Amino acid sequence: MAKKLKEVDVVIVGLGWTGGILSKELTDAGLKVVALERGGNRTTQDDYALPGVRDELRYVVRHDLMQNTARDTLTVRNNISQEALPMRRLGSFLPGEVVGGSGVHWSGHTWRWTDMELKVRSMYEERYGKKYIPADMTIQDWGVSYAELEPYYEKFERAAAVSGKAGNLRGQIQEGGNPFEAPRQNEYALPPLTKIHASEMFNAAAKNLGYHPFPRPSANASRPYTNQYGAQFGACEYCGYCQRFGCEANAKGSPHVAIIPAVMKSANFELRAHSWVTRVIKDKSGKRVTGVLYINVLTGEEFEQPANMVILTAFALNNVHIMLTSGIGQPYDPKTGKGVIGKNYCYQTGTSATLFFEGKHFNPFMNAGGSNDTIDDFNTNWDFDRSKFGYIGGANISGGFNTNLPIGYRPVPRGTPQWGREWKAATAKWYQAAMKIDASGAVMANRYNYLDLDPTYRNAFGQPLMRMTFDYKENEHKMGQHAAQVINDIAKSMNPTHFTPAVARTDPWTVVPYQSTHNTGGTIMGVNPKSSAVNRYLQSWDCHNLFVVGANVFAHNSSYNPTGPVGALAYWTADAIRNQYLKNPGQLVHA
Amino acid sequence: MKISRIFSMTLLAGFAACGPAQAADAAHGQKIFAECAACHSAAKAPSGVGPSLYGVFGRKAGTLDDFRFSPAMKRANIVWSRETLESYIADPQKAIPANRMPFGGIPDAQNRADLLDYMEQTFK
Repeated sequence: MAKKLKEVDVVIVGLGWTGGILSKELTDAGLKVVALERGGNRTTQDDYALPGVRDELRYVVRHDLMQNTARDTLTVRNNISQEALPMRRLGSFLPGEVVGGSGVHWSGHTWRWTDMELKVRSMYEERYGKKYIPADMTIQDWGVSYAELEPYYEKFERAAAVSGKAGNLRGQIQEGGNPFEAPRQNEYALPPLTKIHASEMFNAAAKNLGYHPFPRPSANASRPYTNQYGAQFGACEYCGYCQRFGCEANAKGSPHVAIIPAVMKSANFELRAHSWVTRVIKDKSGKRVTGVLYINVLTGEEFEQPANMVILTAFALNNVHIMLTSGIGQPYDPKTGKGVIGKNYCYQTGTSATLFFEGKHFNPFMNAGGSNDTIDDFNTNWDFDRSKFGYIGGANISGGFNTNLPIGYRPVPRGTPQWGREWKAATAKWYQAAMKIDASGAVMANRYNYLDLDPTYRNAFGQPLMRMTFDYKENEHKMGQHAAQVINDIAKSMNPTHFTPAVARTDPWTVVPYQSTHNTGGTIMGVNPKSSAVNRYLQSWDCHNLFVVGANVFAHNSSYNPTGPVGALAYWTADAIRNQYLKNPGQLVHA
Repeated sequence: MKISRIFSMTLLAGFAACGPAQAADAAHGQKIFAECAACHSAAKAPSGVGPSLYGVFGRKAGTLDDFRFSPAMKRANIVWSRETLESYIADPQKAIPANRMPFGGIPDAQNRADLLDYMEQTFK
């Protein structure tokens, strides 16, 4: 029997970026906030300091900062005719499980998604006609515009110490930035990172072909920096241990550095680590929630935490799982197209080429999470005519590398044996001389890609695992073919000694190897309760005192990393709660 | 190195007529200290990511109770002074090989002099 605790104003489920932002904003508003986090509380000085943090085996192979699949995982299949099986080891994506969440182990790439995503259906219908969008592509507008989110993007970029170069300041195109970005009111918090040599070469080659390269905006502080919460960042040391690791120099914009220490100072705030929320509790009317049930994973004790307001801020997939296990909102059914929870799950796609330059010394051990150059000519460039290629969305293409670790990073040309003397000679010869050109491609929502509860398999708490049904569709295949062509043309123009060309993926998606942690959708935002789970303020259409924050509200996935809009939407939601909901609790949108 | 010493001593002696780019300048040093501040406290406070620098002058390297120093730092057998800090900050790995401070150093002598002026004024 769960022990019932004293009621609080707000319970926050998951303490990463979104949980940190909501905790800060709502404690500032005078509310009593309790944050429940599955993982432990780790800090830079105790856990991410040298030399312990530079442990490739612990963090990369054994996933020390990630969700433990022995406790909870997903079952996975490609389509509804298959039986889904549990993912017993993490592979394709890596949800974080620690105070700071995936914001501890990310690389820091921070993008502003534009109206091309937020108004995807209306913009494509207007430009290419209604028939251009395939019948099973369930893309829809998000119910929010770039102009509305702009100040919140900026707030997040300042909190996370994002380094970059503006390409469009209030409508004026800026030399050296991304000319295809939406207008920004102000420059980035910090100037761009120092380019690595491979990125300089990519930049020159891209320019030569008439493209518009620019430095990738990233939450890696290019200079010492103090954010609006008084958090002090050191300058990035280009140590090469970014993705998968906590930052040893406090140079990466991570919640446990940027915002959580400021929240911890508030008397209104309490963190309970190792607390696994199993369910949100509804009242009899079904229109309000009354708190959450959680288990202390160290002791096994179960608690009920009553609260006036519940905010789900876990990893995107886990937010969807909690909604399903709590029975809030109608689960999505791909056969009828009805229901909303689990709808429009999306992932990302990509392809890459490896270039080898005999005699070059790229120093692959030296880089920041975001010290690459990139082009958006086939991504946020609305003038790029997609109808020639027949797809929707785009791919961001970048050149260079990051987090090339001493054990795992072994680039060798095609045809090299996979072991033995020849392999050893090749890995020694080419280690210094390789670079990559990558495409990260969007995935459009599809009627048959979705999340629901598995009928067979259960987690350590006896709850059904979430079942993921996902595969790439024709849109992704076409985009992949085009992106591979662009990459290979740039690569050839650089005249490498050897080159392993980019190939478009056409094989079914699998959970191995690692691909991207950018899982989106499942409780999407929108303008209508029939087609979305939450309204434009990320408030549940069913229960007005429940907000669901994270990439799970994205109505589809773009080529960009999700953290920019995840952070901006968290601030946007906090603003709506503080300035609208608290004054007049109830549905903020009447549809 | 010597030149920067002379500059900084000139400032300490009260010679403040040089332009800010030339004279050793504790106010500028305070700005340089931002490079250190994410890890090192300048106030009387517990150690964080790096050891507290409060009272560093005259302290033997690697001896603060509340910080886990690298074996290299414990073995260094040096006492922190303006001179030893100067050479350490210039190139930390050269001065004390295998120490664990993840910082590449401050190559510019004038910046080091300004930083040390600030540190001397703040910690003494």
